[in-house]
Formats: sequence, structure tokens, C-alpha cells
Amino acid sequence: MPMPQTALEMRGISKSFAGNTVLTDVTLSAAAGQVLALLGENGAGKSTLMKILAGVHQPDAGEIVIDGQVVKLQSPVDSLHYGVAMIYQELSLAPHLTVAENIFLGREPVSSLGIINQRALNERAANLLTEYGFKLDPRARVSQLSTAKRQLVEITRAIVEAKKVVVMDEPTSSLTSHEVEDLFRLIRDLKARGLAVIYISHRLEELDEIADQVTILRDGRAVYSGQWGSISTDEVIRHMAGRELKEIFPPRNAKIGDVKLRVSNLSRPPKFDNISFQAHAGEVVGIAGLAGAGRTELVEAIYGTQPATDGEINVLGHSVHQAVPHHSVANGLSLLTEDRKRTGLCLNLSLATNLTLANVKALLKGGLLQAKSETTAATDYISKLHIRPPSPTKTVGRMSGGNQQKVLLGRWLFAQTKVFLLDEPTRGVDVAARAEIYREINELAEAGAAIVMVSSDLPELLGMADRILVMRRGHLVAELNAKQTSQEEVLKYAAVED
Amino acid sequence: MPDLIKRFLPFISLILLCLIVAVVEPRFLSPGNLASVARQTTVITIMAMGMTMVMVSGGIDLSVGSLLALAGCCGALVMTNKGNSLGIILAGIAVCIAVGLAGGLINGIAVTRLKIPPFIVTLGALGIYRGIALVITDGNGIVNLPENFGKLAEGTLIGIPVPLLIVVVIALIVHFLLTSTQPGRYCYAIGSNVEAARYAGIRVSRYQILFYCILGGLTGLAGAIETARLVTGVPTSGEGYELNVIAAVVIGGGSLSGGQGTVVGTLIGSLIMGVLSNGANLLGISPFIQKIVIGTVIVLAVTFDEFQRRKFEIAE
Repeated sequence: MPMPQTALEMRGISKSFAGNTVLTDVTLSAAAGQVLALLGENGAGKSTLMKILAGVHQPDAGEIVIDGQVVKLQSPVDSLHYGVAMIYQELSLAPHLTVAENIFLGREPVSSLGIINQRALNERAANLLTEYGFKLDPRARVSQLSTAKRQLVEITRAIVEAKKVVVMDEPTSSLTSHEVEDLFRLIRDLKARGLAVIYISHRLEELDEIADQVTILRDGRAVYSGQWGSISTDEVIRHMAGRELKEIFPPRNAKIGDVKLRVSNLSRPPKFDNISFQAHAGEVVGIAGLAGAGRTELVEAIYGTQPATDGEINVLGHSVHQAVPHHSVANGLSLLTEDRKRTGLCLNLSLATNLTLANVKALLKGGLLQAKSETTAATDYISKLHIRPPSPTKTVGRMSGGNQQKVLLGRWLFAQTKVFLLDEPTRGVDVAARAEIYREINELAEAGAAIVMVSSDLPELLGMADRILVMRRGHLVAELNAKQTSQEEVLKYAAVED
Repeated sequence: MPDLIKRFLPFISLILLCLIVAVVEPRFLSPGNLASVARQTTVITIMAMGMTMVMVSGGIDLSVGSLLALAGCCGALVMTNKGNSLGIILAGIAVCIAVGLAGGLINGIAVTRLKIPPFIVTLGALGIYRGIALVITDGNGIVNLPENFGKLAEGTLIGIPVPLLIVVVIALIVHFLLTSTQPGRYCYAIGSNVEAARYAGIRVSRYQILFYCILGGLTGLAGAIETARLVTGVPTSGEGYELNVIAAVVIGGGSLSGGQGTVVGTLIGSLIMGVLSNGANLLGISPFIQKIVIGTVIVLAVTFDEFQRRKFEIAE
């Protein structure tokens, strides 16, 4: 086998923002026809490094070499010009345009009069989508697509543009396992076409399937580069975290008690229909299902942010037909949202403000906010959840994803709720923060809380839940004992039609 | 570092502005002139205090100028040709505040129930309130108000102008509301991320209505002072005040997109505009040109705010 050619080299890249050093002397090299896994915890500098490659930021030091030529990437246009395409984690599509229009945005086929040929546009998009195996209607408006489908549009668009290097930043975070398979087939196809793929992910399991090389960042430095598979998963995690992670899923010693949450015949067709289940004190109930199965809609209906149309919810003895968030919280039920930036955090406010937001009452004395109680509360949960940086006044928008998630979890701990609905509690969260969130969930269960956990991460559900409820197309199709089931069995119920 | 610059920029601007005006025109520093700056800015400042709450919570109210006129005229209608008793004056002031509260309540309910952007709702209200003021007065000023009513604007208490005292009291109350109470905390949370506030179990609509009501009530009070200043209920008064009120908040570091703003900042913003206009008068610059300057300052302040935000997002 001939030595693969180096398609891209980033040499000695350093970058700081307003005195904050984000990258220090990072060197990375991606070979044509290979997948380079770029790993690191949140805040390790991956996104900044890739934004430098995209031309969004300029490095303070270092150089970028594409095909043996030193290049200056001053803007995203430059970087596209050199054949570098990005798939961002944060979706960047025009919601009011169609799938086809988004794929060819800026490169529409036009007639000699400058008029866009809509038919050619849709045909070309349809051909591409079929080629990649994505089941998408080119005429569908992006605003009406699910997050997962939008991700596919984003991927298609980037690949059309890519000539040398494709960067994928957590492309699978919202995809179903089928779509992930399609994506991996596509990545193999890109490799065969001689492109270099830089693949950022927190899911180590999936890298076994596609990664050739790996570069690991920690605190803005490249701490390891080498062949994928030449070091063990444990070593990878150690490089990322800088310490040994004994157990990802710590054991739990909780006694299952009374029913804390009872959901009866809850419906909001077509999202979900006739759902009944219970959660007991000390129990973690997992909810599995593919994207679009109605899991998020179900927990939002239980909490009240998207009320149900029919059915009944009983929280610690309080029965309601339509939940309302402030009543839910008062009754002792909370929802950790799946989208912490959109529905979770007040990004420009402080850690302490965000953490105490659902229980401001506890900070009042004679109707007045007590700054001291607020700082005490924040400091307590900072040390309990190992939130970094440990500063109550830190603006939450400037913290890493894992720490933001801990702040949100801390909010509900501080609100002293007894039933926790956790929607994708570890999405986009680094390995070390995950372990801490798992530990905290176990502590809650051991203290007698009932926990309902929606997750697309099957190993996580199998590792954490006592029971797993499987949803498919808005229906509850199975209830499995987590100790006796397998990923395959859960997937079978989640994906296969009767 | 940018945070620090942002926090102190309005203050530094105010000092610089005062220095420049004082050097060019030493009369600026005379006690009489400074007192008149304070008097001239009170009406705008009182409304700007309420506007700070509304804008911090992510809203905006363009109808304040019209509501000021409507409230002032209603108060004047109650007081006209009724003699000079304290009871009548108090009743008139109470009517001004009540009309203001009602206007704020209607704005708040419309914004939260109709789910129409506050910019549009209050743009409509701007026309409606002005129209009502003109209809009930038939377009004429309401005269023959109690003689002592004028003291609300021109009187002094222990040597301090009455409107200045009112401003100080209101600024203290609003500052206290924003920094040390549950509604104040929710105000910032709602403005920062309304969905996150809802998901945290905050009754968002109820608080939004409260903030519009507070602004409405303060606008009614400002209407009473304006009417006292003119000793006439003038249905065309307060035209264009919304521009100055919003400018005061924005110059003081309040954000048009919510989640940011302080009473101290707004006070400084309001003073900057007062000094600008007073300086221009002293130097004989046309009031027409002042409007151009104020408009430019608003755009500059918002641009600066946006610039800061973009830097923040990139750094993130």
C-alpha cells in the first residue's frame, strides 16, 4: 500500500481570545483518503481549531498547508476555495428555503438570463440524495424538517462543496442509527474519492468503524497523534481527560419505593398517543427510540412546555390533565431540556443566576433577594458537581458544554424537585462530565428521587436505567428490563415495523 | 476587559461631554443652568426608568409619547375649572397615573396574548393613544388648571426641584426592583432567553404584563409632570419622546435584544441626552439638528452593543 498523501497540515497553530489562550502550538495532519478522528473534551479547543481551518478565525501563530502549499485562510470563502468544507454542529441552514435550495445555496444552476432553473435544481438535489442514500424530499422546506433531517441536508451541502477536506463536527449527535449507517457509508465513499475527512465526535464506539488516524487535544494542546486502534479506548479517554476514568457507569444502590410519577393515557397525536407508565422512587426509567419517535414531546407534555391534549399526569399525588411548567415545578417535577442553549440557559447571565433561576424563592428574605444566599447556593453546587470554572459570577455562555449542562442539572437539584425528566442529559458533553452527571443521577435515585431519562445513547440507557421503555412513532412498544436486554433488542423494537 | 469598557463607557462619555460643553460655554456650569438640565430631563428620565424594565425583559414600547399626552389630558380634564384645592390636584395626578397604568396593561396584554412583536403592538398603540387624546380634547389644549398644580414641575422642596426629587425616588425604587426582587431577577432571565425562562417554570406573560404596567404608570406620572410644566393638557405633547426614552436606555448600556440594562446606566444615558440638548441650546445650535444628533447617537450605541455581542459569540 502506498503512503497516503498528506492533504492538510496545520503546523504550530496558536490562538488566544482576549488573553484567553485556547490553542497552543497545535500540529495536525490529515491524509487523503483517510479519516482523522479529532478528539478532546468540551473546551479542549477542537471547535476553535476547526474554525481556523474554516477561515472564521485567524491563528496568532502557525501555518496551514493544503496539498503542500502554504495557504492563508482569511475567510470561509478562502477556505472553500482551497476545497475545505465544514459541517457544523450548530445548524446553519436557511429555514425558509427548500432542501434543494439549501444544498445549492450560492451555486444554483441559472439560465443565461440569470433565472434559477428550479427543475434542474430539484433534480440534481434528488440525484445527490439518492446517491448518498438519504431519504429526503428536495422540495421540502427545511423549517419543517427534524433536527436529524436538517443535519443530513447540511452534510449533503458540505460534501457538494468539498474537494480536499471535509470536517464533520459531531455529525451523528442527532441522527438515528440508520442514518448513522448511511453517513458512514458516505464517509467510506468520500475516502475512496481521495478526500481527507476530519471527524469530531464524543462517541468513541462509532470511531472504531471509520477512523484511521487520531489526534487528541487537551487544554488547547495536541497531546496524542497516531494510528487509530494502536491505543486502547481507556488510553484515549485518559489522554482526553488527563486522568484515569475508572467506571463510566458507576453502580447504584437505590431502593425502589412508591410511585412518584404516574402517566395515564397521555396523548398528543400525531406526536405521541396513549402513553401510560409509572416511575418509582429510587428508579431510573429510560426512554429509548429513534429521532422523531415522540420522546421529547412526551416529556415536554409531562412537564407542560408542550401540553398534552388528552390523558392524565400524577406527580407525587397531584393529578392534572394539562401540565403547566410552574405548577410542575411547584409539585416537584422538573425537566432537564435537550437543547440547553435554546430552552435551558440564559447565556448572558451568570452561573449563579442560571443555577438558582427555578427556585428564586429560596433566596428571598422578607421579599428581598439575598446576594449571600445566592453565592452560597452557587458555591455548594459548584463543588458538588465539580463545575469549572468554579466562579458564581462567570457568564454561563462562556462555559464549556459539559459545565453548562452541570449548571442546568444544578438548577433542578437546587429546586429540590423529586421527579426528574432528563432529556438527553449528556448530549454534547465530554466524557469526564458525563461520568459526573451519571454519578449525580445515581445519588438522586439513592436519595429517593424518580428519574425518567430520554437518551439516544443506548449504552448509556443500558448502563443507567432500571427499566427501558421503547417508543416508536409516538407509541410505547416495549418495556424491557435494562439488566436483561441488549442494544440489539432495544433497536429491534425502536426501528422495526410490526 | 471589554465588559469593563462597556460598563464605564456611558459614564466616561457623560464626563467628557460635560467637560467639552463647559470649556466651550462656561455658563453651562452655573447652578441655574444645571438645575434646568435636571428639570428638562425629568420627564424623559421617569419614562426611561420604566422603559429599562421593559427593554431588559426583551420588550419595547413605542407608545410612551402618546400615552404621556393621553394621560396628561385625562388628568387635565379632571382638574380643569375646578379651583385650586389639593384634593383636585391629587385626583388629577391619580387619573394621570391610572390612565398610564391602563395603557401599559393594554400594551402588555396585547403583546403577550396576541403574540405580536411588541414593536408592532406599541407602534399601533402610538397611533391609537394619540388619536384618543386628540378626540377627547377635540384637538385643543385643556386650560384653567389649578394654579398650585404647576408646582409639580416648577416647585422646590427644601431647595431641590420637585421633579428631581421624584426622579431620585423612582430611580431608587426601580433600581431596587431590578436588582433585589424576584420580578427583577425574572426580568433579566426573560429578556436573556424567554424560552429558557418558561422552561424554568417562570410565568413569563404575567411578568411581561407587569413590566408594561410599571412603564405605563410611570408614563402617566411623567404625563402629570409634563402637564404641570405646560400648565395645560396638550394632546400633541410628548411627540417623539419615545425616541429620547429608548435612546436613554440604549446609551446607558441597555440592549434592544433584552437581558441587559441598569437603572444607573439609563440615568447616565438620560443625562447625556439632557446635556447634549442643553449644550446645543447654549451654543445656539438648532433643535432640528439635535434630533439628527440623537438619532445618530442611538445608532452608534446599538452598533457598539452589537459589536460587543458578536465578539462575545465568536469567543464562545
